[in-house]
Amino acid sequence: MLVRFNYTLEVLTVIAIIAFCGIFLYTSSTMGDAEFAGSDTVGSGLVAELSNTPEDEFEPLIPQWEPPSGEIESCLFALQAALGGILVGGVFGYWMGQKKKA
Amino acid sequence: MHIMEGFLPWQWCLIWWIIALPCLIYGLYQLKKVLAADREALPLLGVTGGFIFILSSLKLPSVTGSCSHPTGTGLSAISFGPWVTSVICAIVLLFQSLFLAHGGLSVLGANIVSMGIVGPLAGYTVYRLLRDTSVNMYFTVFLATALADMFTYATTSLELALAYPAESGGFVGSFVLFMGIFAITQVPLAIVEGIVLALVFKYIVALKPDILIRLRIFSEDKINSARGDAGAV
Repeated sequence: MLVRFNYTLEVLTVIAIIAFCGIFLYTSSTMGDAEFAGSDTVGSGLVAELSNTPEDEFEPLIPQWEPPSGEIESCLFALQAALGGILVGGVFGYWMGQKKKA
Repeated sequence: MHIMEGFLPWQWCLIWWIIALPCLIYGLYQLKKVLAADREALPLLGVTGGFIFILSSLKLPSVTGSCSHPTGTGLSAISFGPWVTSVICAIVLLFQSLFLAHGGLSVLGANIVSMGIVGPLAGYTVYRLLRDTSVNMYFTVFLATALADMFTYATTSLELALAYPAESGGFVGSFVLFMGIFAITQVPLAIVEGIVLALVFKYIVALKPDILIRLRIFSEDKINSARGDAGAV
């Protein structure tokens, strides 16, 4: 059983996440021009600037499939996260079962 | 941290692939060895790898007004070392190049070097330096994880700066510019990621301490005293 207060890490995690959300709310309300685009995209913009080449002139070296819309892209990202979630949840369940049996 | 397909000259793509490939091959060899020695390492690999899948799919907003994603590689680097971690990252990055147009096949080598090799290597180094000291175990996990994240983005900046030196200031000038985009955005994300993965590590310690001891991830004393602190069980 729990003897003394031992949720320091849990509390820290919650504080960190709340602070993170707070920072986001602050940035999004004060930075009028913030687009919250991916830093990959911003980085590519800088590449275009440094090499004096318009961004749309960068052609893939190896042809690649692009998700036709943002919805399909986020669907595939969700799929990736779901796969990870299944792995994590499955293993924690397996360990809990092992522990119960032992 | 993805360099997008077509945004790296082929010479650089080749160089990063040449660096990445031996690491991946050694990682596969190590992975086989670890799993052959102890089948119970497989679930741990599932958890640490699972977090790479989850965290690298979350694009979070940050202070610079742009979004970026954590890497989640710290736990895996601590548990299995950077080379095995590079194999898991290669799988995630391949998925993202093929289906999400994040990164691409030619730049995959460069992206594996940043997310799969340099980041985890930095985290692993910090962990090895602190493992046998009296530094708190969870703080070690936090630091290793946060630094693995930061070094990934510093490496992306380095890769781009090497390929695109600025007209004024050259390589250093352009490295500073790229760090301004990638690293500053990443600081809050790396801190939150470090805390969250330290918490996850606490749950692994609570549920399956024996695998951590058998793989000598932390000493038995440290794990047992952390469990004592946890009070549970």
